[in-house]
Amino acid sequence: MARRDFQESLDALRSDVTEMGHLVLARLDDALHALDAGDVDAAEAVIDGDAEINQLYLDLESACIDLFALQQPVASDLRFVAASFKILTDLERIGDLATNLAGYALAADSRYLPELDLTHIGARVHDLVADAIEAYADNDAAACREIDARDDEIDALCHAASERVVRDLIERRAASGDSNGNDDGNGDEAGDPWDVEAVLDDVSRVLLTVRDLERVADHGVNIAARTLYAVDSDSELIY
Amino acid sequence: MSEIEQTQTQTTEQATDQPLETTTGESDEEVREEWRQYDFRGSTKLAAGDLNVHYGDDHALKDVSMEIPEQSVTALIGPSGCGKSTFLRCLNRMNDRISSARIEGSVTLDGMEIYQDGVNLVELRKRVGMVFQSPNPFPKSIRENIAYGPEKHGDLETGLLARLLGRSDEAAREELVERCLRDAALWNEVHDRLDDNALGLSGGQQQRLCIARCLSVDPDVILMDEPASALDPIATAKIEDLIDDLSEEYTVVIVTHNMQQAARISDQTAVFLTGGELVEYGDTDQIFEDPESDRVEDYITGKFG
Repeated sequence: MARRDFQESLDALRSDVTEMGHLVLARLDDALHALDAGDVDAAEAVIDGDAEINQLYLDLESACIDLFALQQPVASDLRFVAASFKILTDLERIGDLATNLAGYALAADSRYLPELDLTHIGARVHDLVADAIEAYADNDAAACREIDARDDEIDALCHAASERVVRDLIERRAASGDSNGNDDGNGDEAGDPWDVEAVLDDVSRVLLTVRDLERVADHGVNIAARTLYAVDSDSELIY
Repeated sequence: MSEIEQTQTQTTEQATDQPLETTTGESDEEVREEWRQYDFRGSTKLAAGDLNVHYGDDHALKDVSMEIPEQSVTALIGPSGCGKSTFLRCLNRMNDRISSARIEGSVTLDGMEIYQDGVNLVELRKRVGMVFQSPNPFPKSIRENIAYGPEKHGDLETGLLARLLGRSDEAAREELVERCLRDAALWNEVHDRLDDNALGLSGGQQQRLCIARCLSVDPDVILMDEPASALDPIATAKIEDLIDDLSEEYTVVIVTHNMQQAARISDQTAVFLTGGELVEYGDTDQIFEDPESDRVEDYITGKFG
């Protein structure tokens, strides 16, 4: 009887965490869309929706603590509840990062910045997180290892994007021939003068966007790492 | 006898020829081979080799081999009738008293075979003491419960004849009583009533008195058969703390049905399953976090049956 209730609680935890994962994924999707298309409504919806994710996180965390206290799980049950407990934190953090991305979308102004394919990076990050959530839902150890390998490519793309922004600034500065850093009206944008403060904001924002995308992927890898631990008792991907 | 041996051989062959299908792909035999090569910390105190016990036609313990490291706590867990208590009782030859029991194989204590002719059972049981499920103090005073064994064995001479001959050692007795009661974490509760009847103590105190009594003959090993199953959580916690303290000096082997207790207090855990088989043996954290055997996983998570 008790074991049956426990099993039902474990099954419910898996489906609830997966459902939270899908919600977080939808928010990430909206944030990426907002970034891509400058959709103000979508961005605001993501920011407003964060409270819901935080509440879900607290509720499910509490469910895990109840299972620890009342059922004292061992072996694969223990690994599953412990992994879920950690994965909840990663999902909540992805939710936070999605609101950051939505905030950057609201402030978007890239007039002075080089072309970056953030849409491509965003799509890869989104797919990685989606696959990690599916791996958790399906107990898929092979998928977890594959997800970890994909993260290296995303890291490389993010690194290249950040480097491109900085390199572009340096090169344009050199081309302008102004070593004193004064605004001399020689900006590239059709004679549009540089507003140093505005450019600084834009550069910071785009670098933060790249960094947050990379972090979302890292949380996706964490989800895969904890899932692998739950399924195979393999801590290989946990660092 | 030969029939039984034949049955046993067939069973072993079956197990080898048709390994149980497990999701990890490891048969019980493969799991067993893995832990047999397990390198425990510390040196071996007790070792069982291919131990088989039959009660009449009942094959209660099947080819059990395991090494128990000294100064540690080894928990034996498993469902009722799995042979864990039988195994425990083999470690100080308590099964010798059961007429239908037939024991084959080997048990060594510090490398010396205990199942051989000429072994002094009294000496063996002094070195390998036992604490039972229900506290069983003698219906005597607390002091006499402790001193009885050493006096009986002549380690303490406090009798009338000794006193008359000037060899009485009351001071040594008092010292022994205090030391054993302190080691069993009971002294503070009973030091002012050592002459009271031990049966007046609470269940938890009686059990600690039995542990103190066991310590009085200076054992190396303490066997415990469900020592806390009849106690409330507070008395249980005291016994568990005591077991932890005792393991610094003694080798403790404990049978328990309470898996959380085994997880809390033991360094190694051995899992016996129905049929008298030792299915897995290893570090307690490994057994409870990541058991190799699917049968063990099913048992400890409660999916058994």
